[in-house]
Amino acid sequence: MPTAKLYVGIWLGLIAIVAIETVLAFSHLSVGVMVAALLVLAIVEAGMALRYFMHLKYEPPALFWTLIPAIVFALLMMNQVWPDAHRLVSLHFP
Amino acid sequence: MTLEPSPIGAVQTKKFVMWLFIIADAATFGAILFGYGYLRVGSTNWTRPFAFSPSIINGLVMTVVLLTSSLTMLFAVSAAQSNRKTDAIRWLGATMLLGLAFAGLHIREWISLIGEGWAPGANPLGGSTLVGATFFSITGLHLLHVISGVIAIAVITMGFNRGRWNASYVETTGLYWHFVDLVWMFVFPLVYLLNAHS
Repeated sequence: MPTAKLYVGIWLGLIAIVAIETVLAFSHLSVGVMVAALLVLAIVEAGMALRYFMHLKYEPPALFWTLIPAIVFALLMMNQVWPDAHRLVSLHFP
Repeated sequence: MTLEPSPIGAVQTKKFVMWLFIIADAATFGAILFGYGYLRVGSTNWTRPFAFSPSIINGLVMTVVLLTSSLTMLFAVSAAQSNRKTDAIRWLGATMLLGLAFAGLHIREWISLIGEGWAPGANPLGGSTLVGATFFSITGLHLLHVISGVIAIAVITMGFNRGRWNASYVETTGLYWHFVDLVWMFVFPLVYLLNAHS
């Protein structure tokens, strides 16, 4: 099982990622690049929290395979909204 | 400690049920964040309301407070599992205080925004009113989870203190609390940082 030292290390790592996200938000990147960068960093943070804070790393692998692919699939399916969102912009009256 | 029958190997039933709830709740937050993205991409007059000071600084403080509350919850679970009852209760108390601090900072921010004219149907900057609608919906749903979590931790702490519930209940409540923290890891960059103006 993880030690207090590991927990503090993960906590510091998460705070460091939040600091990087904040710097990125004010670094005048294009919106697309910024969204991608912030999402990747948030997913890394979530992975660290799931593995170490929520102990998924130490649980039987069956728990991971029962739960995580299902939610990843559901979230990926939600990406089908984007073409319609872009279509919506062109429907605005001038 | 008696292990309960479990559908997933050695995972206790209540822990598995909490995981099922977390997955369902993750889909809820996923849907509301996708809804926010959809409305934002489809809007031509989106406005960015957050300046670095005080909004983003306040959001950073809230983030650190919530992350720290996850750390104190981990220490509470470790202490409960090692039969260090007094330590466990102290760490649970610290977690509740940090949760209340987060809620207090959040409510103060809401009051300040409402004072500036922001509301679910109003945008004082003159742009899309969906900015306020999505902001108050997403952060309101998260705030509801934080307040519910503090109440759940208080109930579990009392039961654990009386010897009615064992460490596994503390661990299961901890799972929920870490999930609330995990959701904020997406809310802060997507709702605050992407709406910041320099």
